[in-house]
Amino acid sequence: MNVVFAVKQYISKMIEDSGPGMKVLLMDKETTGIVSMVYTQSEILQKEVYLFERIDSQNREIMKHLKAICFLRPTKENVDYLIQELRRPKYSIYFIYFSNVISKSDVKSLAEADEQEVVAEVQEFYGDYIAVNPHLFSLNILGCCQGRNWDPVQLSRTTQGLTALLLSLKKCPMIRYQLSSEAAKRLAECVKQVITKEYELFEFRRTEVPPLLLILDRCDDAITPLLNQWTYQAMVHELLGINNNRIDLSRVPGISKDLREVVLSAENDEFYANNMHLNFAEIGSNIKNLMEDFQKKKPKEQQKLESIADMKAFVENYPQFKKMSGTVSKHVTVVGELSRLVSERNLLEVSEVEQELACQNDHSSALQNVKRLLQNPRVTEFDAARLVMLYALHYERHSSNSLPGLMMDLRNKGVSEKYRKLVSAVIEYGGKRVRGSDLFSPKDAVAITKQFLKGLKGVENVYTQHQPFLHETLDHLIKGKLKENLYPYLGPSTLRDSCFSSQILLVLHMSKLDLNSSIKPKVLFLLEYRNRCFGALQILVSCP
Amino acid sequence: MASLDDPGEVREGFLCPLCLKDLQSFYQLHSHYEEEHSGEDRDVKGQIKSLVQKARKAKNRLLKREGDDRAESGTHGYESFSYGGVDPYMWEPQELGAMRSHLSDFKKHRAARIDHYVVEVNKLIIRLEKLTAFDRTNTESAKIRAIEKSVVPWVNDQDVPFCPDCGNKFSIRNRRHHCRLCGSIMCKKCMELISLPLANKLTSASKDSLSTHTSPSQSPNSVHGSRRGSISSVSSVSSVLDEKDDDRIRCCTHCKDTLLKREQQIDEKEHTPDIVKLYEKLRLCMEKVDQKAPEYIKMAASLNAGETTYSLEHASDLRVEVQKVYELIDALSKKILTLDLKQDPPPHPNTLRLQRMIRYSATLFVQEKLLGLMSLPTKEQFEELKKKRKQEIERKRILERQAALESQRRLEERRSDLASRATNGEVVPPRRGPAPLRKAEGWLPLSEGQRQSEDPDPLLQQIHNITSFIRQAKAADRTDEVLMLQENLRQLQDEYDQQQTEKAIELSRRQAEEEDLQREQLQVLREREWEREQGQAASLHTRTRSLDFREIRPFQLEPGREPRTHLAHALDLGSSPAQSSTATKTSPPSLAPEPFRGWSGSPALGQEFLPQSTPSQRSEAPSLNPFDEEEDLASPSAEGTASPPAPEPSLGPPARLLREYNPFEEEEEEEAVAGNPFARPDSPAPNPFDEEDEPPPRTPASLPVPGNPFEEAPCTNPFEEDSDGGQEGAEPIEEELLLQQIDNIKAYIFDAKQCGRLDEVEVLTENLRELKRTLAKQKGGSD
Repeated sequence: MNVVFAVKQYISKMIEDSGPGMKVLLMDKETTGIVSMVYTQSEILQKEVYLFERIDSQNREIMKHLKAICFLRPTKENVDYLIQELRRPKYSIYFIYFSNVISKSDVKSLAEADEQEVVAEVQEFYGDYIAVNPHLFSLNILGCCQGRNWDPVQLSRTTQGLTALLLSLKKCPMIRYQLSSEAAKRLAECVKQVITKEYELFEFRRTEVPPLLLILDRCDDAITPLLNQWTYQAMVHELLGINNNRIDLSRVPGISKDLREVVLSAENDEFYANNMHLNFAEIGSNIKNLMEDFQKKKPKEQQKLESIADMKAFVENYPQFKKMSGTVSKHVTVVGELSRLVSERNLLEVSEVEQELACQNDHSSALQNVKRLLQNPRVTEFDAARLVMLYALHYERHSSNSLPGLMMDLRNKGVSEKYRKLVSAVIEYGGKRVRGSDLFSPKDAVAITKQFLKGLKGVENVYTQHQPFLHETLDHLIKGKLKENLYPYLGPSTLRDSCFSSQILLVLHMSKLDLNSSIKPKVLFLLEYRNRCFGALQILVSCP
Repeated sequence: MASLDDPGEVREGFLCPLCLKDLQSFYQLHSHYEEEHSGEDRDVKGQIKSLVQKARKAKNRLLKREGDDRAESGTHGYESFSYGGVDPYMWEPQELGAMRSHLSDFKKHRAARIDHYVVEVNKLIIRLEKLTAFDRTNTESAKIRAIEKSVVPWVNDQDVPFCPDCGNKFSIRNRRHHCRLCGSIMCKKCMELISLPLANKLTSASKDSLSTHTSPSQSPNSVHGSRRGSISSVSSVSSVLDEKDDDRIRCCTHCKDTLLKREQQIDEKEHTPDIVKLYEKLRLCMEKVDQKAPEYIKMAASLNAGETTYSLEHASDLRVEVQKVYELIDALSKKILTLDLKQDPPPHPNTLRLQRMIRYSATLFVQEKLLGLMSLPTKEQFEELKKKRKQEIERKRILERQAALESQRRLEERRSDLASRATNGEVVPPRRGPAPLRKAEGWLPLSEGQRQSEDPDPLLQQIHNITSFIRQAKAADRTDEVLMLQENLRQLQDEYDQQQTEKAIELSRRQAEEEDLQREQLQVLREREWEREQGQAASLHTRTRSLDFREIRPFQLEPGREPRTHLAHALDLGSSPAQSSTATKTSPPSLAPEPFRGWSGSPALGQEFLPQSTPSQRSEAPSLNPFDEEEDLASPSAEGTASPPAPEPSLGPPARLLREYNPFEEEEEEEAVAGNPFARPDSPAPNPFDEEDEPPPRTPASLPVPGNPFEEAPCTNPFEEDSDGGQEGAEPIEEELLLQQIDNIKAYIFDAKQCGRLDEVEVLTENLRELKRTLAKQKGGSD
C-alpha cells in the first residue's frame, strides 16, 4: 500500500497511453498539487510532457501540434471549462482523465461538446488525494468541521478522497469508527454509501481477511499535536512548515536566493528519505558525515585545473557533484535553521516540561515548571500558550487547578488574545467531556504496571517520553483487543472474530491548531501496513 | 526438543529445539537455527527438520485461530510479532489502481451529435460542388438560376415576409436573397458570399479525401481549379460592373459558418508547424542515441578490458556517430529554442515556454547520456590492453597448469624416493637414469613444449601412483587396502614436504658456496638475498606471489623458450664478470634494494624461485642433462673468467630445470636475470627483453648490449608503457576530449544559468576558458 506509487502509476499510465509527441498536461488547482507531489519536472519532461497548464487559465494559446492530457477533478466548474475547451479545441487531441467518479450526465454533455472529435479517451483514474509519503496522504483541507460537525462541502470532498484512495489501492474494506465522535461516524457512513453505490468498482479480488478502515477523531487525543517533536520531518513541519513537500525558508536570516524555498521529497532525496524519522541528534551527526563525504568529492574549485586529466575528472564528476552540493546546502540550511530556532525558542526546556505535562501526574511540579517557563522571555507566546493548553487538558478536573492563575500569567507575558482563546477552545475540542477514553490515568492493570515499570526504569529520553494515544489504539487493534463498544463496525460484520487484518487503513481526523485563534480541524490520513505502523506514527505525530 | 516431547513442561511458541530459546515466530526460529546450530551434526538436523515441519504446521494452526492466540500470547507483544522474521519494508507488489473508462459512453453520445454534423457538412459540400461544376461565366444568368434552383429547392418568397436573421421586412428595396446551399431566404445585409476558390478548396479537399488513391483524377482537377481561378480574377472586374455574382455563391451565415469551420479543419490537417518538424527530427535523433549508445558502451567496455571482440576502428566510428547525433540534438534543440524568436509580433509566451522546455529536456538528455559514454583507448593503449589481457588469460592458464604440475611433481618425487626403499613401485623411473630414457617417457622438454603432465620428482611420482592405486582399490571395494595406501600416501607427502624444505635450504647453501668459489663479489650480494628469501621460499606459495609479478610482464611464448634460456643463462654469467670488472664492485650491496622498490619485486621472485627448483636440480644430475653440452658450447665465452665446468652445474641447472617444469618458471628465472642488471645499473648489462624479438639462437658475444637497463626495462612494464603510449597518442584524442568537454561545460553553464547559480556559472566559465586555451594551444602545436 504505497500511495505515492499508486498515484505515480496513474500519471505514468496517462502519459504512456497518449503515445509519442509533444504533450501538455492540463490540470486544475488540486490536481496540480497531486501531480507535483509524485513527479518531478525533469522526470515528466522525459516523457515528452513540456507544458503544464491550468484548465481555468484564459491565457492559453492554440497549439494544434500538442496533445493534451487532462487530469481533472470531476467538479462542475471543471466540466464547464472542459466543455468550452472542446467547443474550441486548442490542442490536436484530448485524453481526459477524471480523478474521481464522474456522473453520466457530465459525460454526455462533454460528448456533445466534442463536435470536432478531438477526444480520444475518457477515463476515471482515482488519484484524488495528495500522496505525502508512501503511507501518508492528505487532502489539504483546513477546517473541515464547524464546531463538532462536518462542513458538508468538506465532508463530500473527504469522502471522495477516501474512496479514491480505496480504489487506487484496490481495497474494499470493512469500516470501523470511533463512537465518541459524530464526525467519524458521518464520514464512515458516507464512505460506506459510496462503496454500496459503486459496488461494481469495488469488486476486487477478495482476501481472506478483508482490509479494515478505521476512522478516528483527533479529539480523543488533543495532547499529541501540542507537543514539540524531535524527529527530522516532524521538526521541519512543526517549526518551518511543509506544504506539498515545499519548505519556505524566506524567513531564515541571511538566506541565499536559491534557498528561499526548498523541496524536501523522500522520493528524490536519499538523505531525507533515510533521515526523516531520525531524531535531531542523529541528524546532526549524519549531516556531518554528509558534509565530509561532500568535501571529499568536491572538486578543487579554487585550485586551478591544471592538467587535462583534472578537467576531465571535474567534468565527469560535475553532475554528481552538483546534485550533492544541492542536497548538502539544502539540508545544512534546514538543520541549521532548526537548531537556531530550537535555541532561540528555548525548545529543549519547553519540550521537557511538555513531556512532563503529558506523561506524568505530578501536579505541583508541573505547575511550577509551567510558571517558571512563562517567566522566561525566550519562550514564544505560542509555546507559552501551548504549555498552558497542555496543563489545562491534563489537570482540567484537578482539585487544585490553577488555570486562571496561568491565564493571568499569559496575559502578563503579553500573549495575544487569539492565543489565550485557544486554551478554552482546546478544552472544548478535546477536553474530558469529549474524550471517549482516558488519556492520562490508565485504567487496566496491565497499563498501570507498565507505567509503574517505566517509572522504575527511568526515562531514556526526556524529550520523547510521550507515546501518542494512537499507539495504544493500534496496538489493541492489531491484537484484536480494540473494544467494539468504543469502535464499532459499520453495518453487519460477518468476520468479527478474526479482527486481525493484514491490511489496515487508518483514517485520522486530526486537528490543526491554527493561528487564527480557533481550532480548525484538519483532515489527514494515515494508512498502514501492519509493520509500518510505528514508523508512520512519527509522521502522524509530526503533522498536527 | 525436550520441551515438545515432554508433556510435563509445557512451553508454547517457537522454541528452538536445541537451546529452547523462545523465538516468537517461525521465521525467527528458522534463521536462529540456521545461524546458531548449522554446525551441528547431520542426523540432528534430520530430526530438527521434522520439528521445523511440526512447527510449520503449528504455525498454520495458530493462524487459523489467531484471534484467541493473540489474546493468549499477549506477552509476545505487538512488535515482536509483527517484526518477527518478516522484513518490515517488504511491500506487497502493487498493481495499477482501479480505473473506469467512459469512452464508449462518450463515443455513443458524440456519435449521435457528430453524425448530424457530418451529414450537414457533407450535404453542403455536395451542393457546393454541383454549383461550381459548370462554367458560370459563360452561362446565362437565367440558366444559372435554373441550375441553382435544381440543386436545392428554394423557399417560397411568400412564406418569408421578414428576414429571419435581422427581422427586417422585405420590400422592393429590401429584396429577398436565397441561400444557394440550403434554399433559405435572407436580406442582402445578412447574405454571405462564398468565393469560387474557397468553394474549390472545400470540394477538392473532400474529393481528395474520398479518392486519395485515384491520383489521375486529381491532376485534371487541379488544372481545372487553376484555370477557373484565372478566369474568376478576370471576371471579377466584370462582376463589379453588372453586379452579377458570377464568381461567388450566395449563401446564408449558417452555411458559411459550417463551411468555414470545415476549411479550418482542412488547413490544420495540411499544415505542420516548423516546431513539429524539428521536434520530430529531434526525437528521431534521441531514439538513435538510445539505440546506439548502449551498443557503443558495450563495445567500449569490452575494448577497455582489452578484449578483441570488437574492432577499435568500428567503435571509434560509432563513437563519432553517436557524438554527431548529440551535436545534432543540441543544434536542433537550439533551433527550436530560437524558433520565431525574432518574429513580429513575438510568439505567445506559451510557445516560448514550450520551446524552452524542449531545449531543457534535450539538454538533460544530452547530459545524462553523453556522460555515460566512456572514452576509448588509443591504439597504443589498446595494444597494451590487448597484451595485458592476453597475459591475464595466459596467466590463468599457467596457474592452472602450474597447480597440476606441482602436485604431480610432488608425487613423482615422493614416489621415486619411496621406490628406492620399497619394491612395489611398478613404474619406478630410474632416479638417475639416462636422459634418453626420460625423453622416451616424455618428461624432458627437448622435443616439445607439452611436458607439464610429467614430473621428474620421483617422490611426486610415487605419490601420484599411490593415488591411482587408491583409486583402483576403491573401485575394487578393497577398503582395507585403501586405508593402508592412504596411510602410505600421507607418509609420503609428509616426507616430501620435509624434503622440499631441506632441499631448499641445501640448495641455497650449496649455491652460495659455489658462488663463493666462483665470484666473491656476486656471492656477497646473492647470499644475502637468498638468505632473505629462503625462509619465504619454503613457506610462501609461489603462485600467489607470482601473480602481481606476471601481471606486469609480457608473456613469452614457448617456442622462444629454449634459446632464451641460453640467453638468460649466458646473461647471468656474462653480466657477472662484467660487473666484477667495473668500478661498481663495491656498490652492489647498496644498490641491491633498488630493484625491490623499482620493479615490483620481480628480482625477488626470480630468486625465490630458485630454491623451489632445487629438488629437481638435485634429482637430475647435471651431467645427464642434454642441455649441458649445448650450454657448454654456447656459454664458455660468456662465462669468462670462471672455470667452465664449475659454474655449469651451479647456475645452469636451475635455469634449465625450471624450464623443464614449466615454461613459466623459466620466465621467472629470466626475470631474475633481468632483475640483476638493476642491481648493477652502471654496468653495460644487456637487457634480455631487448632481444626477445630477434632470432632466438645467439652467441653470447652479442649479448652485452650496452644501454641503461633502467631505461629499457620500463618497456616491459605495461603500466609505464601505457603512459608512454598515452603521451604519444595523446594529442588527437585529447583534442577530441577537449571539444567534448567544452560542449559539456557549455551545457552546464546553460543549466546553471537557468537555475540561477551564478557562482557555479563563474567556475564553469573559468574552466571553459581554460579548456579553450588548451585547445588552441594544442591546435597551434599540432599545426
